Amino acid sequence: MSESPQTLTIQQDSYAHLRGREAMDTPSRFRNRVSKYRVFRSSACTACNKCAELCPYGVHVRSGDRMLRPREAFCIGLACRSNDFYCISQCPEKALSMALNPLFETMGDARWSADMILATWVMAETGDVPSGGLEYEFGRSGGGFDKLAFDFPKKPAISLDEEEIDLSVELNRSGDEAERISIDIPVYGGGMSFGSVSEHTILGRCIAARNWNTFTCTGEGGYIESIVPFAKHVITQVATGLFGVREETIQRARIIEFKYAQGAKPGLGGHLLGDKVTPQVARMREAVAGSSLFSPFPFHSVYSVEDHKKHVDWIKAITPRSLISVKVSTPTDVDMVAVGSYYAGAHIVHIDGSYGGTGAAPDIAKKNIAMPIEYAIPKVHKFLREEGVRDRIVLVASGGLRNPWDIAKAIALGADAVVIGTAEMVALECIRCANCESGRGCARGIATTDPELTELIQVDYAARRLSNLYLAWSKELKRILKRLGMRSIRELVGRTDCLMRLRS
Amino acid sequence: MMDKKAEKILNSRARLLDGLSRTESRKDAEEGGCGVVGFACNIPVRGKHIYEPSCQMHNRGNGKGGGIAAVGFVPEQLDVSREVLDSHYMLQIGLLDPTARTAVEKEYVLPHFAIASAGMVPTVGDYREVEGLDVRPPDVLRYFVRVKPDALDQFIRENKLEALERDDAEDEFVHQNSFKLNRAYYASLGDKKAFVLSHGKNMMILKIVGFAEKVAQYYLLDEFKAHCWIAHQRYPTKGRVWHPGGAHPFIGMNEALVHNGDFANYLSVSEYLKMRNVYPLFLTDTEVSVLLFDLWKRVYGYPLEYVIEAMAPTTELDFDRLPPEKQRVYRHIQSSHIHGSPDGPWFFIIARNNTTQKQFQLIGITDTAMLRPQVFALSKGEVEIGLCCSEKQAIDATLHSLAEEDPRFHPIADKYWNARGGSHTDGGAFIFTLSGDGDVKKLTCTDKFGFEVTLPSNKKHRNRGVEVATPQGSHELAAEIDELVKAGDADALFGWLSGGLRVWQYDTLGCALNKTVRAAGANDEKRTTVIKALTLLNDRRYPTGDKKRSSVLELVRSALRSVFEGCLPITADGISRFRFIDWHTRHQLRAPRDGEQTLVLNAAGFSAEGPLCHSRLFVDAYRLGWKRFIAYGLKGERFSGCGFGSGTEGVVIDLYDSVGDYVASGIDGMEIYIHGNGQDQLAQIIKAGKLVVYGDVGQTFMYGAKGGAVYVMGNAAGRPLINAVGKPRVIINGTCLDFLAESFMAGDALNGGGFVVLNGMEIDDDGNVHEMPLPYPGSNLFSLASGGAIYVRDPRRCVIDEQLNGGELVSMTEKDWRLILPMLEENERLFGVSVKEHLLKVNGRPMRPEDVYRKVRPVKLAVLAKKDDTE
Repeated sequence: MSESPQTLTIQQDSYAHLRGREAMDTPSRFRNRVSKYRVFRSSACTACNKCAELCPYGVHVRSGDRMLRPREAFCIGLACRSNDFYCISQCPEKALSMALNPLFETMGDARWSADMILATWVMAETGDVPSGGLEYEFGRSGGGFDKLAFDFPKKPAISLDEEEIDLSVELNRSGDEAERISIDIPVYGGGMSFGSVSEHTILGRCIAARNWNTFTCTGEGGYIESIVPFAKHVITQVATGLFGVREETIQRARIIEFKYAQGAKPGLGGHLLGDKVTPQVARMREAVAGSSLFSPFPFHSVYSVEDHKKHVDWIKAITPRSLISVKVSTPTDVDMVAVGSYYAGAHIVHIDGSYGGTGAAPDIAKKNIAMPIEYAIPKVHKFLREEGVRDRIVLVASGGLRNPWDIAKAIALGADAVVIGTAEMVALECIRCANCESGRGCARGIATTDPELTELIQVDYAARRLSNLYLAWSKELKRILKRLGMRSIRELVGRTDCLMRLRS
Repeated sequence: MMDKKAEKILNSRARLLDGLSRTESRKDAEEGGCGVVGFACNIPVRGKHIYEPSCQMHNRGNGKGGGIAAVGFVPEQLDVSREVLDSHYMLQIGLLDPTARTAVEKEYVLPHFAIASAGMVPTVGDYREVEGLDVRPPDVLRYFVRVKPDALDQFIRENKLEALERDDAEDEFVHQNSFKLNRAYYASLGDKKAFVLSHGKNMMILKIVGFAEKVAQYYLLDEFKAHCWIAHQRYPTKGRVWHPGGAHPFIGMNEALVHNGDFANYLSVSEYLKMRNVYPLFLTDTEVSVLLFDLWKRVYGYPLEYVIEAMAPTTELDFDRLPPEKQRVYRHIQSSHIHGSPDGPWFFIIARNNTTQKQFQLIGITDTAMLRPQVFALSKGEVEIGLCCSEKQAIDATLHSLAEEDPRFHPIADKYWNARGGSHTDGGAFIFTLSGDGDVKKLTCTDKFGFEVTLPSNKKHRNRGVEVATPQGSHELAAEIDELVKAGDADALFGWLSGGLRVWQYDTLGCALNKTVRAAGANDEKRTTVIKALTLLNDRRYPTGDKKRSSVLELVRSALRSVFEGCLPITADGISRFRFIDWHTRHQLRAPRDGEQTLVLNAAGFSAEGPLCHSRLFVDAYRLGWKRFIAYGLKGERFSGCGFGSGTEGVVIDLYDSVGDYVASGIDGMEIYIHGNGQDQLAQIIKAGKLVVYGDVGQTFMYGAKGGAVYVMGNAAGRPLINAVGKPRVIINGTCLDFLAESFMAGDALNGGGFVVLNGMEIDDDGNVHEMPLPYPGSNLFSLASGGAIYVRDPRRCVIDEQLNGGELVSMTEKDWRLILPMLEENERLFGVSVKEHLLKVNGRPMRPEDVYRKVRPVKLAVLAKKDDTE
């Protein structure tokens, strides 16, 4: 324990106030946050408070005898024009005006559109989806989940209250000697190492995972001591560099994830550039500060499926009660890989499609090597079913799942649950500038290990934002299930008949 | 390169291909590495002996495809004459649909072949009688045939093959006929009906859906004798419905090939073959491998050396170190065939009837990157046997099985070694050749270049057919031993026994060991002394006079076993420091009491892995308070020492016999002693503690290690210490195959970081310590390393800059020497490799440390320090 590089000394109790699942209003940590619309108030304003009384979204707030600057992020914009509470036209002094924010137009990309980024921010702030004005169901990629939509029945077969809808997923279906583990939402956090992201980010993820009785993952950078109190909700990774992997850390984890590949960069291995290898990171991994750290592209001890079985058996020998998850990317024969993993004794097969990955994955690899996840999921799901083992293994998907709708679609395609990464970063106000790997890392203090940049995010903020995100997603997932007339998320698995393809 | 004959043969195949898809090269079955085993023996041995090693490899297969091949039979067992056996093709057709027989015979057998003998291969009555067989194995038709002269004439005429020897044309006819049959009754059908299992002379292949040893059971091969056997456990991952056609081995012409691995370039190899009118029908790596072999060996007529070069090209520094003449030839081979060269990982075992030279051969070839484990072994005495396997445990299992029934065989081989793939030293391949007439052949083992692997000629095995007789003077012997045991000095006892052993006959040695065992029984102190002394006899090398070390070891290990078995059972009353536990008493495990210290475990019966593995029992025992463990009788059981968690200082584990993979992986404080060779994946992620290996270690030794002190008496295979960080400290007294300390990140050796001492020394069977020709023959040393150091004993300055990519060679300093000396001294104590007499002497002359050792340390590489340019 003495070797922990952490500067924080943390008791679990110091985060007791962050327990619970109710919405914890957590506004942006930046004074001028980016919104889709700009709302201007001219000097003609008399602070009559009419706009505040009208607006149901809380854009206008009076403080004392003057109006505060409009909270533009909540404005639903031009869509409001037809409402009788449209403040611009109702203002007696004609002091209000509104326009699309030019900064907004520079943000995002086709998959993670500016709308979706901002909507994720709203969810992280409020614990629910935006009231309007932001398109968060679809991106503009013209493919993948952006071309899939639910074909809802006009009226669901059964009418359900959202409270009776169950989102929990059982993660051990093998019936072997390992623990039975169930998570309350069909989502858990993907591997992010200490080194790729800051300690505060990691702690925030842990607290959110605890609140929602799900998991987050250490990635391959060692198991930092400050998250030990959250061990019940922490997956640890055994990846190809074996950084920070020790019997002690393996035995601590209820789920062990073998990372064979990442969908964003299959066949390339991990790569932490020298600049991000600060003395703390180097100490955690017992490597040399300032020198890039490579995780080899394969496990050098695993060149075949029976080597893989031996590898799994090894981890089971160390920790017989833990579940084994096998994370692979999505090559064309991903179905065979999944079946091989099952026979080798995995409880979870985790397929990681090509859309995922942050700035650290080379552009040439992202989206160009692995199979898109929406193809891989049904392929594996069907193959496992034909093989007669589908109900003995949990299929988890990741790789560019951005929002509750993507999650529902992935599950309808055949996954049991999903793993997310980028969306959590966005919830912490990542703007997707894709410079995660450079210098000391992220200018927004998320994907960094620089001591000063780390202070840009406080643990409370990260925990609340992520917990809110899960809350918003849960609400939305329940709404979707309600419309489909399904009592449990498990009923949705493999229901491709609920989906339809959008025409361009 | 292609001469006219080869061209004619390949052209003649064009018309076989009508209607075949010429573009698609898909791989049907994704194959993993598998378990492979092969042996060649100068006398024919029963199929029963492929059974044990096959069972050993269960965890390298999933029971969904197994097969065996055999070469060199006893004519009487096949009901044919010697002449027919030697001259006729042994055509075996597997019928998946028994009703297909008539049509198959009518089309592909009767019109073309003169049949000397025909029948069904006998089987057990009902396949369900063989436990574990879920799918009915194919009925196998077996014919001894020659091509009818007129059919052959017509074939030669139509294909303009007049330039060929008639025998060669006949081979090609048989080959093409099988292709046609397979195409019609296997490849083109959704519902597969029949396929040719094998068609070579004096050789056969049988394969099934199930574990390989079930082949032997189902086809009644227990009593069936052959000179060469190979077996394969397959671990394919596709589909629930399996066809034995896809299982290994695959047939070439007169050779059967099994394969452990998975090509990265299946498509490229298939394309290469198709350009030569060679079309795979079973769509597996293994099939294309044997097609390559057949193309290069039979069609192109290359010598075996060139075939091996085409398969596993010599590259990098190894290429530079070849003689110029070889470089010239190899360069041609590589430029012509590199596209057909299978890109690893793979390891092939080929059993072959070399009809032109009247030899049977067993060939093991490893790929240039050495990505699969492989071990070779040789034993020569009254009978001679050569073996190659994916793991040493399979070799040991084979030898045990043979030795149990025939005293001419010995349970321990005279020599075990690894091949270095694509190297200039051995070429990564070894060939066991059986030659001579009659049932007793002569066995020679050569490497790719034809250099023979030899054994000391002045040493003899013990005659295992007779019991140890009591020699004269046994009372004096007993008295002396009692005295030594009583004195409690194990080193003295070892010294006395090993000194006497030099001149003793086997009987005297056997008797001395028996007396020693008896003396151990008296009390715990004596037992401790005897275990220590016998363990030293087992571990250390010392002159054995005219006795073979393998036979000495057999007696020593059997003595050790007797001492262990004499320990007080866990269930018995009484007081002893030692408690014995085995499979039957495992549930009686309890906390140690009354001064009990050591748990002695007989590993027989425990599983290789999983809940019933001995490693779990050790963990349970540790939690109950046990700290000292001895396990013996291991047959490849894995994970010894795993699962104890952190802070295990004070725990000591001694392992005897065939230890399995992953031993000491993850240990954090404890000490483990392996009294023999280790296998693969030893000491992965080791955090702290000590590991001592009295032998060699296998692949990816200390991968991702963080710390610990490790001593290896012999060699390491490929990729030792890859991705190691922290402060691991290792002495390897021999050398490594290649890729030592790739991405080594172990800090600064002089400031608490890690290092490797590579001595490049060899200890022979008589305990003499020699310098190896090259301390590090591989082309890659310390690649992409950013921390740690390697201290290599290299007085002749053989290590050169070209081997390094991330390191630089610098002189040793006083500080360096002070760092490694304590470890070298411990190394001396453990293995008898003396710092003064062996390490610091060159050609008998004492040298200074800085003249003997050289240091490799990291240089700051641009690729490591900067962000790379892919962003």
